[in-house]
Amino acid sequence: MASRRRMLLKVIILGDSGVGKTSLMNQYVNRKFSNQYKATIGADFLTKEVQFEDRLYTLQIWDTAGQERFQSLGVAFYRGADCCVLVYDVNVMKSFENLNNWREEFLLQASPSDPENFPFIVLGNKVDIDGGNSRVISEKKAKAWCASKGNIPYFETSAKEGFNVEAAFQCIARNALKNEPEEELYLPDTIDVSGGQQQRSTGCEC
Amino acid sequence: MPSNSDSSSSSSSSTSSGEYQTPKRNSTSIDQSLDAIENQLASISMFQPDSLLESEPEPEPVPELEVSKEELVNGSVNVIEELPAKNEEGESLKASSSRVWTNASEEVEEMEAPPSPSSSGYDGGRGSSATSGIEDANDDDNDGEIVEVRSHGDSVGASDSQAPWTPGKRHGDEDDASISWRKRKKHFFILSHSGKPIYSRYGDEHKLAGFSATLQAIISFVENGGDRVKLVKAGKHQVVFLVKGPIYLVCISCTEEPYESLKCQLELLYGQMILILTKSVNRCFEKNPKFDMTPLLGGTDVVFSSLIHSFSWNPATFLHAYTCLPLAYPTRQAAGAILQDVADSGVLFAILMCRHKVISLVGAQKAALHPDDMLLLSNFVVSSESFRTSESFSPICLPRYNPMAFLYAYVHYFDLDTYLILLTTSSDAFYHLKDCRIRIENVLLKSNVLAEVQKSLLDGGMHVEDLSIESGSRSGSVSPHSSQSGLATESAERLRDTFSGVGGPAGLWHFIYRSIYLDQYVTSEFSSPINSLRQQKRLYRAYQKVYTSMHEKGIGPHKTQFRRDENYVLLCWVTQDFELYAAFDPLADKALAIKVCNRVCQWVKDVENEIFLLGASPFSWRLLSL
Repeated sequence: MASRRRMLLKVIILGDSGVGKTSLMNQYVNRKFSNQYKATIGADFLTKEVQFEDRLYTLQIWDTAGQERFQSLGVAFYRGADCCVLVYDVNVMKSFENLNNWREEFLLQASPSDPENFPFIVLGNKVDIDGGNSRVISEKKAKAWCASKGNIPYFETSAKEGFNVEAAFQCIARNALKNEPEEELYLPDTIDVSGGQQQRSTGCEC
Repeated sequence: MPSNSDSSSSSSSSTSSGEYQTPKRNSTSIDQSLDAIENQLASISMFQPDSLLESEPEPEPVPELEVSKEELVNGSVNVIEELPAKNEEGESLKASSSRVWTNASEEVEEMEAPPSPSSSGYDGGRGSSATSGIEDANDDDNDGEIVEVRSHGDSVGASDSQAPWTPGKRHGDEDDASISWRKRKKHFFILSHSGKPIYSRYGDEHKLAGFSATLQAIISFVENGGDRVKLVKAGKHQVVFLVKGPIYLVCISCTEEPYESLKCQLELLYGQMILILTKSVNRCFEKNPKFDMTPLLGGTDVVFSSLIHSFSWNPATFLHAYTCLPLAYPTRQAAGAILQDVADSGVLFAILMCRHKVISLVGAQKAALHPDDMLLLSNFVVSSESFRTSESFSPICLPRYNPMAFLYAYVHYFDLDTYLILLTTSSDAFYHLKDCRIRIENVLLKSNVLAEVQKSLLDGGMHVEDLSIESGSRSGSVSPHSSQSGLATESAERLRDTFSGVGGPAGLWHFIYRSIYLDQYVTSEFSSPINSLRQQKRLYRAYQKVYTSMHEKGIGPHKTQFRRDENYVLLCWVTQDFELYAAFDPLADKALAIKVCNRVCQWVKDVENEIFLLGASPFSWRLLSL
């Protein structure tokens, strides 16, 4: 029974402003794209149900604002994340260079129990622009960086054309699950009225 | 004691609360002395500065139940008559919290998103159709109803409101994009500090994940600034937040209940969760902030929704007291004796209940049961269908007794309504408790307790029609079958003739009497014209509101309040020994109503050994809980 239950995965999307975080999410959740740029303020929240290996998952996607003035929201937003998606624009060098800052900021603020193995995923977005002629980061360079950070999975995407978006989010779900901790028995203490030490209960998981 | 300082303390306090600021109108009461006092109070209440509120709560008058009318009047009648008044409560709160809201909405505003699985914006522009529906809302609406379905006339909606409450989650297919969901009058949410949904009264928790994230973002954003968000007002909606470590609780309501009431309901909801899981869940979140509690709570939806439902019908939820099934004294004694016998054999608490009413209860030495724990425990038992089908043994936690650890509850139903709860600290005591239960059952059968319980269920408790207004004649006992007074039937009949169909004497419709030392309350049975569930709920909401105003932090508790609005006259009277809340016909005469309240108190005293559990171990929790 317990293995059949629905799971909820909290997914944080990070990256410089304008790299297309909101567009990726919108393409994934609503299959829509708009050329108009609207800055996200604070954070947006979307949910999407996915089926994966016969189980239903709900992705709770936290689309954050890229502007630096929103960085103070960090702790509050990152707490309890199951997966972190780092997005950059393959046509903008700075957005790639900042990936490291975003990753470290996340690890610092969210302080996950096992930072080495926390599931990240990197998306190089806007590969459609100018037929790829304006890109300044090669796939090779991006993959090398990902490899150096503990083999972070890497996807090249186009939110505009919907290219690779579905596959990327599939991977996000899979990685979040890999990190799922072992189910522990829930064992609160039992009241001991005799005044001695508290005894462990026999482990009834209600 | 100087009557002036006394009355000023109660009257000015109601002004500062802001709740009952009223356009005064001249009373048409025939009682000139009352009018004089009222006028005096009117001026005091207009101009009394807050500092005077500190004037000491005088010791006196009269935990004597035999208060003469004059004493009551001179002592401290706080008379408030109001026309349908504009509700301007919590101005200061509103101001401070709206600042928070402004900030939050600047930062956490959502993008312009298509309506479907996207979230947040409960009160945002996109919900305009929903909010416009809510504008019309009245607070007497049926819980499950969508606002527009309600009708103004009391009788028109009667068929709706008489429909039995269906347990469990309703409208589970809704989410925050559903117009119907947005129109629900009262939402409750439990979520984790990472924004993962744990419980929602309406709609599917997973579909509401985005909404839940929004709530967390608001709470965390304010927390980040070293502050704490307690209440956000948005039009007719109040959003009340309660943070309990890693657990966040939120109520969104347009029922016009006071903030204090809603917060207290969130506290109970949290208590219910602790009862099921203990506070040890906090450790799970410490170890793993991603922790998902929902599997631990599997199948308990019905427990939460039943508790939420009880907020609108069970006065125990705001009185923090329990109520007993009326029984002849020897019958209750017999039940208590066998429970005591069992308690001496290593049972921590033995509780015999009928629905939500106590038949008898016994605690091992020095163990005291808090009324809120009893409410949560009986709600847990009554709402879980599986307890009815077989004897059960379940770990439970009493949040007021020890929130960190489990006890074990043996539960057995003797019949459809009557059940026994035996609490122990030993996880392997099932067979011992089963033996105890068999012993108890034998005694209950032999002494006819179970049959008496059924009889009492049929007869009901105190009927306002049975109240005699003649101070000389004794009011009847509660239950006709154990009647001790021959006068009862006679006077009752006479009064029924006079007031047929309109409640008790002087237009008395209903009352609640709460004994402070016993931690117990008794209510009269509902009778005409408070017939429908909708009317009953509205009356409870009125009581709840007036209870809150009587117990305002800092300046309460107050002594008396006489309040007239378009629906009722409410008369409240708080002494060291008891609290009385009585509802009258809105046209009731003031002096008569006061007289009748004195009679009610006398009546309660006359029958106290039938309606209360006397001699139960005193509750030592009051100071802790306040």
